[in-house]
Amino acid sequence: MPPIWTALIVLVIAAAGFVLARARARGAARREARRLHSLLHYYGWTAAIYAAGPALLLLALWLVAQPVVTRSLTWPVLQAEAAEGAVPSLMMADVQRLAAGLDTAASSGRLSPEAARALPPEELRAVMADQGVALGSDVTPATRDAALRWQRVSGLGHLLRDIAVIGLALAGAAWGISRARPDIRARNAVERAMRGGLIAAALIAILSTVGIVLALIFNTVEFFRLYPAAEFFFGTTWSPSFGGGSELGILPLLWGTLYISIIALIVAVPIGLFAAIYLAEYAHRNVRSWAKPMLEMLAGIPTIVYGLFALLTVGPLLVEAFGRGGWLGLGWMQGGTAVMTAGLVMGIMLIPFVSSLSDDIINAVPQSLRDGSLGLGATRSETIRQVVLPAALPGIVGAVLLAASRAIGETMIVVLGAGAAARLSMNPFDAMTTVTAKIVSQLTGDADFSSPEALVAFALGMTLFVITLALNVVALWIVRRYREQYE
Amino acid sequence: MTDISNDTPARGGSLLVTDARTKRRNRAETRFKAYGIAALAVGMAFLVALLWAILSNGLTAFSQTYVQLDVPLLEEKLDKDGDRDPDKIAKVSTFGYKPLIEAALTDLVAREGIETELDGKALTKILSDSAAAKIRDRVLADPSLIGQTVSFDLLASSRVDGYLKGRVSRESLARDKNLDAAHLDLVDTLREAGAVEKRFNLAFITGADASDSRPEQAGIGVAMLGSFFMMLVVLILSLPIGVAASIYLEEFAPQNRLTDLIEVNISNLAAVPSIVFGILGLAVFIQFMHLPQSAPLVGGLVLTLMTLPTIIISTRAALKSVPPSIRDAALGVGASRMQAVTHHVLPLAMPGILTGTILGLAQALGETAPLLLIGMVGYIATNYPDGVAEGFLAPNSAMPAQIYEWAKRADPAFYERAWGGIIVLLAFLLAMNLIAVLLRRRFERRW
Amino acid sequence: MNDMRPMDNAVTDKTKITARDVHVHYGTTHAIKGVDVDIADRTVTAFIGPSGCGKSTFLRCLNRMNDTIPGALVTGEIRIDEADIYDPRVDPVQLRAKVGMVFQKPNPFPKSIYDNVAYGPKIHGLARNKAELDEIVEKALRRGAIWDEVKDRLHAPGTGLSGGQQQRLCIARAVATEPEILLMDEPCSALDPIATAQVEELIDELRQNFTVVIVTHSMQQAARVSQRTAFFHLGHLVEYGETGKIFTNPEDSRTESYISGRIG
Repeated sequence: MPPIWTALIVLVIAAAGFVLARARARGAARREARRLHSLLHYYGWTAAIYAAGPALLLLALWLVAQPVVTRSLTWPVLQAEAAEGAVPSLMMADVQRLAAGLDTAASSGRLSPEAARALPPEELRAVMADQGVALGSDVTPATRDAALRWQRVSGLGHLLRDIAVIGLALAGAAWGISRARPDIRARNAVERAMRGGLIAAALIAILSTVGIVLALIFNTVEFFRLYPAAEFFFGTTWSPSFGGGSELGILPLLWGTLYISIIALIVAVPIGLFAAIYLAEYAHRNVRSWAKPMLEMLAGIPTIVYGLFALLTVGPLLVEAFGRGGWLGLGWMQGGTAVMTAGLVMGIMLIPFVSSLSDDIINAVPQSLRDGSLGLGATRSETIRQVVLPAALPGIVGAVLLAASRAIGETMIVVLGAGAAARLSMNPFDAMTTVTAKIVSQLTGDADFSSPEALVAFALGMTLFVITLALNVVALWIVRRYREQYE
Repeated sequence: MTDISNDTPARGGSLLVTDARTKRRNRAETRFKAYGIAALAVGMAFLVALLWAILSNGLTAFSQTYVQLDVPLLEEKLDKDGDRDPDKIAKVSTFGYKPLIEAALTDLVAREGIETELDGKALTKILSDSAAAKIRDRVLADPSLIGQTVSFDLLASSRVDGYLKGRVSRESLARDKNLDAAHLDLVDTLREAGAVEKRFNLAFITGADASDSRPEQAGIGVAMLGSFFMMLVVLILSLPIGVAASIYLEEFAPQNRLTDLIEVNISNLAAVPSIVFGILGLAVFIQFMHLPQSAPLVGGLVLTLMTLPTIIISTRAALKSVPPSIRDAALGVGASRMQAVTHHVLPLAMPGILTGTILGLAQALGETAPLLLIGMVGYIATNYPDGVAEGFLAPNSAMPAQIYEWAKRADPAFYERAWGGIIVLLAFLLAMNLIAVLLRRRFERRW
Repeated sequence: MNDMRPMDNAVTDKTKITARDVHVHYGTTHAIKGVDVDIADRTVTAFIGPSGCGKSTFLRCLNRMNDTIPGALVTGEIRIDEADIYDPRVDPVQLRAKVGMVFQKPNPFPKSIYDNVAYGPKIHGLARNKAELDEIVEKALRRGAIWDEVKDRLHAPGTGLSGGQQQRLCIARAVATEPEILLMDEPCSALDPIATAQVEELIDELRQNFTVVIVTHSMQQAARVSQRTAFFHLGHLVEYGETGKIFTNPEDSRTESYISGRIG
């Protein structure tokens, strides 16, 4: 029985519990001529929650735990072979795929488990291919045995799971119905459960952080077991080859990331800042009411659009200007994808980001400071440059850091606009690549997830996560300090 | 900043005469203001350039060139036995239809009295590869057509389409093996005769993606469905979870370490690069939980995690804007805290919550990077999902992933599709934002 | 150095500011309705009246601070030393150097005490070198009666001072540009009684060098510091004259009602 059916059955039991508990509470109230402590439906809900809550929780835990348990029970069969240097995770993946294939074969009636056991292992791969199950390598006897064991263990597990979950639901419902008495404070129980639900929802935020960190750390450690950390962090060459002998130095990628981000900030910070100053200090209310939303439209445009704009519009345009035989006759640019292309377009993307953050921050500077300065006979620009901006400086620094963190983590623009060559060059018209672009290229190929060439993406992701997180924490801290100053 | 200089203004001079220093300062003032205007203008210019690039490159995707052709569905080719047995008719592959098309084209050329050096086989190059399949589908659906001459609207090849749209010229064809100038002459004449025409291309909006060699047939419809199912997952998960988390943090959470931790977490999660969420999805949902690759369900889960912080932040703002007096009033008549929140605060905050959710969904709809990692590209979405379960679990693409896919293909005819796809995507985003704005206008409450 | 001039408590006859038929509109609100007033040189003139009567608005006309508020429209004629300050040839920046202003809430810039005071002289180019600037700052701080309290920490932030000190710093800042007129918009409303007394004492001293116009909510304050008082009501200047006379023997019934606490 697929888990979704189990869950549905649990919900049906819960619904029945609701109806029965409510009826019982009503009956008890009438019989004993007492006032119920809570409204009728709370008694129903109590039973429903007792029925569904623990059962669904158990189901979820079981779903997560079962593969782990099954794996540890199956592993001993493979151990002998694993000693010969095969990659455990790959072997297990094959076993699982084979087991799944055997399942479908059995359910379609083409191959019973007994027949599978009888079949020579060499033929299994072909049989599975007929079923549309592709196996990574030929089936060895150990793999076949492991797969059969896997099948048995997981079948047993599923049966136990269904019995346990449905049993728990029934017991919960019964308990809930028995509690449908006038003296029981059903509303309080329901509200406690609701509150538990709210806390659980709030914890999901932490859970996803934990998920990110675990996924990154786990795979990064795996990577460093296969590839020396020092060479990763200090290597100046990036040339992955799936045949082995890769050089995976992060420095060229970091340099590309940094270079593109710097160009983006050079574009975005002055334009965004001056636009914000103009909108906050000079613009007439009417101008502000249309110019600000228009500028912010740039922020609502998905990054894929900017990527395409870089690849198909800005890149070719830059080549016409800076390429060989271009208007400027400089011949600096070989192709449309370059640091300049990506940086420029990313700068455009960041303009509204910088401007609306700066706008908020400039508006937070108290009007009394402006009055004080204007009252002394300062011009508006003197007031802005010498009073408003220095007062807003920490906040603006925070905004720029946030923009930098955005730039470093941006993916689509660099994937489409920056090129794929990892190099340490100073020429902004060269194609270069970034950390994010390489994460994409290392994980979208057909590589298996246990080779260093694929695992390196997790180490890159970890680096990216740490850098952006650090920038963000510092920026938020600065901005908060700044806000407190004027509150 | 020591502005100490020598041209000290004469004290007590007349106010009616502007002194030199003030003049200089006023010039600096004008310059500074000009910088501001220039910055704003540059920002606007970028916006206009972007929109111009999108519209000028993408609008052509919404029209497509069709060739109207009367094809004789000869019985001896399609159904030799003449008994209209569907199984036998289905045995005739698209190759069996090619000669019919050739004949029809030759006939058309002869009927219009056009002189051309092209023979039957070369003539078919003005048509899309999909033409034969289209005729075959029609015949399989209605075998009684066999023996008649039926008029079909067939897609022209992408080169011919590009010629009518100004993308392909006689010069650019010089290095093209598929088509030469003679074809273009023929197309010109046929166009005058009304057999070739450009029409609104509904198939682009509703259709499926096509293989590398048939850009003229590619549509964004299937990817749109993929996005739809993904958004469904995001909505179903992130709205309740986001609202529940916000209610807890805003209404119930005690001031303690755990609350602080959750708050810091949420504000930082909002700034984690989207690609990192893709890595999370790959490692947790695909590697660890073995959910199917390229499935909208997985995409939806990843986007849910990404959207949650946005929704939580806006929901909390909405809850915060409900004045405490409302809560006090409810508590005052004997409601529990939970009842005060569910009966009074939540309904009042609902418009704000919905606005935030729609904006969060819009952001998720346009997100591409995490989808790359969970395998929603490199996959040609040619099939409509078969029912709802398939819609969630069968491999599919999504609108932004489809656009990326087209941008990566070699044939420039796909670029037009990519820009066109962007117009469709932006139309959705615009609609969502408009709804959010209207919602806000309609229900905005000043306390 | 504090330049000591002979004390003269009498009101001089020379007129510094002349206003004729001044109207102010904010969008659709008619805030000031035809005010005529002559303000004497080297005197403290107090504007009193209930909240929203237009006294602060009128004060802000005198150095054209209303220009900074979008939608404000000033008509009529205001002359300082015979020059019409709303003449198109007049640069408001230059005007404000001549007409300094102190605000309701102390608003020191988030800079050091020294930089706060030096800000005006620097932008107007009043000092040729650092030594001159130092001298101007010291003189201003002395005139602001705060020198002794801050001379040892000139480079500490101005925002770190107490409320009363901050307000005196703001006065010193305004004085540093050597204005001829000082406008004060309820300068003591954010201060405690002791700080208020110090600032009032300072205002009395400032009269020797400047024409002071002060808006105040407190009638006692007006009586204590001013020589002349103008009573505003609903945008009209109801009565204007010697402070003693306004408080003891007002001509208009509205003034009397206000003074005796029946309106306002």
